[in-house]
Amino acid sequence: MKSPMRLALPILLAAFSLTACKQATEVVKPVEAFGSYDTEPDWNDSTKLVNLGYQESQGKRIFYQSCVWCHADATPAGPSNRSNLTPVPPLLDDGDKLNAESDEFMQNIITLGGSALGKSAMMPPYGKTLTAGEIKEVIAFTRAIAQPPYQKPGRQGSQYAAK
Amino acid sequence: MPAEHMGKLTYRMRLAFALATVICVLVLAISPVKDFRSEWKKYKRAFVRYAQGRPDTKKLLADYSPNINQVWIPGMNVVDRCTTCHQGMTQSSLADASVPHPFRAHPPIPHNVREWGCTICHRGQGPATEIAEAHETTLAWEQPILPAHYLQASCGSCHHADLNQTPQLTRGRELLSRLNCQACHKLNDLEPPMLGPELSSVGCKVSREWIYKWMKEPRTVLDKDGNVTVNGYETGDESRMPKFRLKDEEILALSAFLSVQKAKPLETYKINPAVVAAWSKNADLLPQAELRFRQMMCTTCHPLAVTRAGETKLIGGNIAPELTKVGSKVNEQWLVSWLRNPQGYLAHNNMPHYGWSDEDLYKVSQYVMNKLTDSDLLSTVPKLDTPTDDQIKNGRRLFLEKGCASCHNIAGVTPQKDFGPDLTALGAKNASELEFGKAKITHNLLSYIQAKLQDPVSVNLASRMPQYTWNAVDLDAVTTALLSQTGPKPTSALQHLVVPKVEASYKPVGDFAEIYERYKCYACHRFNGYGGTLAPDLSYEGSRAQKKWIVEFLKNPQTIRPTLILRMPQFNMTDKEVNTVAEYLALAVQKPDVNPESVDARQFTPALASLGKQLYEVKFQCQSCHTIGGTGGYVGPNLNNAGNWLTPAWTEAWLRNPQTLQPDAIEPRRNFTEEEIRALTAYLMTLKVGIKPQTAASAVNGRSAGQGAGR
Repeated sequence: MKSPMRLALPILLAAFSLTACKQATEVVKPVEAFGSYDTEPDWNDSTKLVNLGYQESQGKRIFYQSCVWCHADATPAGPSNRSNLTPVPPLLDDGDKLNAESDEFMQNIITLGGSALGKSAMMPPYGKTLTAGEIKEVIAFTRAIAQPPYQKPGRQGSQYAAK
Repeated sequence: MPAEHMGKLTYRMRLAFALATVICVLVLAISPVKDFRSEWKKYKRAFVRYAQGRPDTKKLLADYSPNINQVWIPGMNVVDRCTTCHQGMTQSSLADASVPHPFRAHPPIPHNVREWGCTICHRGQGPATEIAEAHETTLAWEQPILPAHYLQASCGSCHHADLNQTPQLTRGRELLSRLNCQACHKLNDLEPPMLGPELSSVGCKVSREWIYKWMKEPRTVLDKDGNVTVNGYETGDESRMPKFRLKDEEILALSAFLSVQKAKPLETYKINPAVVAAWSKNADLLPQAELRFRQMMCTTCHPLAVTRAGETKLIGGNIAPELTKVGSKVNEQWLVSWLRNPQGYLAHNNMPHYGWSDEDLYKVSQYVMNKLTDSDLLSTVPKLDTPTDDQIKNGRRLFLEKGCASCHNIAGVTPQKDFGPDLTALGAKNASELEFGKAKITHNLLSYIQAKLQDPVSVNLASRMPQYTWNAVDLDAVTTALLSQTGPKPTSALQHLVVPKVEASYKPVGDFAEIYERYKCYACHRFNGYGGTLAPDLSYEGSRAQKKWIVEFLKNPQTIRPTLILRMPQFNMTDKEVNTVAEYLALAVQKPDVNPESVDARQFTPALASLGKQLYEVKFQCQSCHTIGGTGGYVGPNLNNAGNWLTPAWTEAWLRNPQTLQPDAIEPRRNFTEEEIRALTAYLMTLKVGIKPQTAASAVNGRSAGQGAGR
């Protein structure tokens, strides 16, 4: 009677400890296979790729349809219209100029056009062509490719992230 | 045991019972402890802790339950427990990239995540509750999660019509149809196959040596940097003729078989001897011939290698064969007869029927035969003798066995049915249903498709599939399109969710139909969704352009868009033809609600026009995109001649909402008032210039808008 019990105890203990054996998974475990939705080469260095999420990649699509003509130096058609314009419109990746503008301002100037915000009337309003969501996507794309990189001002999550 | 002790428990027995009880309790506890420690519960608790550390705790935890969450869609096999761990999925405040996974919100997409679940788009195993089982291929669960880069494949399994939001999928479908994959494979919802050239009379066109060279090395190859090149020149387009792994004797047999294909004798045309005599001695022949070649705008459809600033690139259109070395390929008799009447050699092809003068015909054919050549092209080809009967017989057999007959028609040769496997359900296959051979790749569907596309023999030694050359972007696009071929939907009750592909066709009537076919208008222009995309969509041309302008334009096509260098060729149409086209367009090719007669230009006063000029130049600054008189932007068409070109009704409708007239118009819709629209139209109608004759200097070739130079 004694010997089976003596055997049983360690076996049970071992069984319990086994359940703990599985390594505690970290809360943030990126699934590597998932990858990024799309990429855009860095405008100043085409060997570097910027990873884009869904929203940013939709912004990229809209940018290359509507905005590229004046906010880039190369367009799908070849020459850019940028040099024809005074004041010269900022390049979309120009972080020095655009990082300082809030998302709200960007949303407004794209929706209402330049003249509504006291800027050049050459920037037409897109509020009737693009939806608010699409304009948000374009802004997300702008932020993604900005050089120097865009930092969100006063990030809400940041002060809690330390906890 | 003594009788008095019966019924009493000894100390040892008590100990035994106690231990047994403890063990029993412990054993029973294993399961709850294991459950408590399960992966998903850790994420549940971690989310609570995470939410408590944020200011919007209450909102984040409003729907919280400690149990497994599940989206269940009966009939679609959706049982998705993903939201058990991905708990912030629909919380807009968790959209920021600083929020750790798996709590980050889903980006806004056109579908409601709660209604559709996750696996319809992302694949993976919905019912699984462990990370590895949900996302990866494990022993019991075969479907891994689809990498984000190929997600558009899932859109395509329901949306058989093309979507704006899925450019990669659309490109993939385009490639599947362009490369004619349907000739061998069964596939869902693709444009009808575009077969390779018919070869019934190929022996009249090229030599056996050229056929040998072509089969040994179709001009397109991948260079060392992974760029697709044609004749060594970089291009963005895939070659349509893949490389078959042919042995030398097979090439000998096939070239023998093909070189005797002369079903239809060549209709030879003798160019007026007076023209030949006048020009053949002229030292200026080739420069003049080159000029004429450029003026004919052949490069609008045919690409040609051009060296500029030390860089050689293919430029020109991409809807017709590349011509850089064509002079070393075809014989002169054939070329002249082809140029005069392309449909005489091949009944179905998209080359327009030009109205050539003998002089032009002589000049252009001389240019092609003397300048578009490469003396080294056939230098590696061995001396080939007259084909023997044996070779021809073998060639015919190989033509069928290798699958040549699936793309190339030859009179009297019937291709094998279902030459390649059915791919309509390829995208839904599990790894166990695929053959990986000895390939050292991850055993899942995605790696299989990519390996097969890049090197068919790597996964199946006996594969008959030829070798294509892909650039990285196109490889991913085709992979996406193949992954979207997921066969029929699970149940018929949900068939209505499938967005079918709209089949477009356009059949004009009367005299116009004949001209439309003769000049192949549809090769470049689109009518009601049918036709090419190289040139403007003409579905509403009758509403847009004034009849007089159409007549002038057809007689002497001028470019309207400043950045566009590819141009409509001059077909030398007769006056009668020009009038028939103009008449037909003005009457029958209209947008029903934009009647060109509805706005009378006579109501526009000079005062209104000058108000319009003010609006154009100061308030709306239209010159940022449009050019008038040499100043302004490159984005829109120039408006120099708007008053002769556009109808007032079209101009007004366009200013109200450009996208109703042309869905992909770049010009945004503005909030003009009706007065502003009227004034702008009045101003535009005053802009008139005479049409200048086409000058030789302007006839340079290049690449058109929308042909993708930037990306």
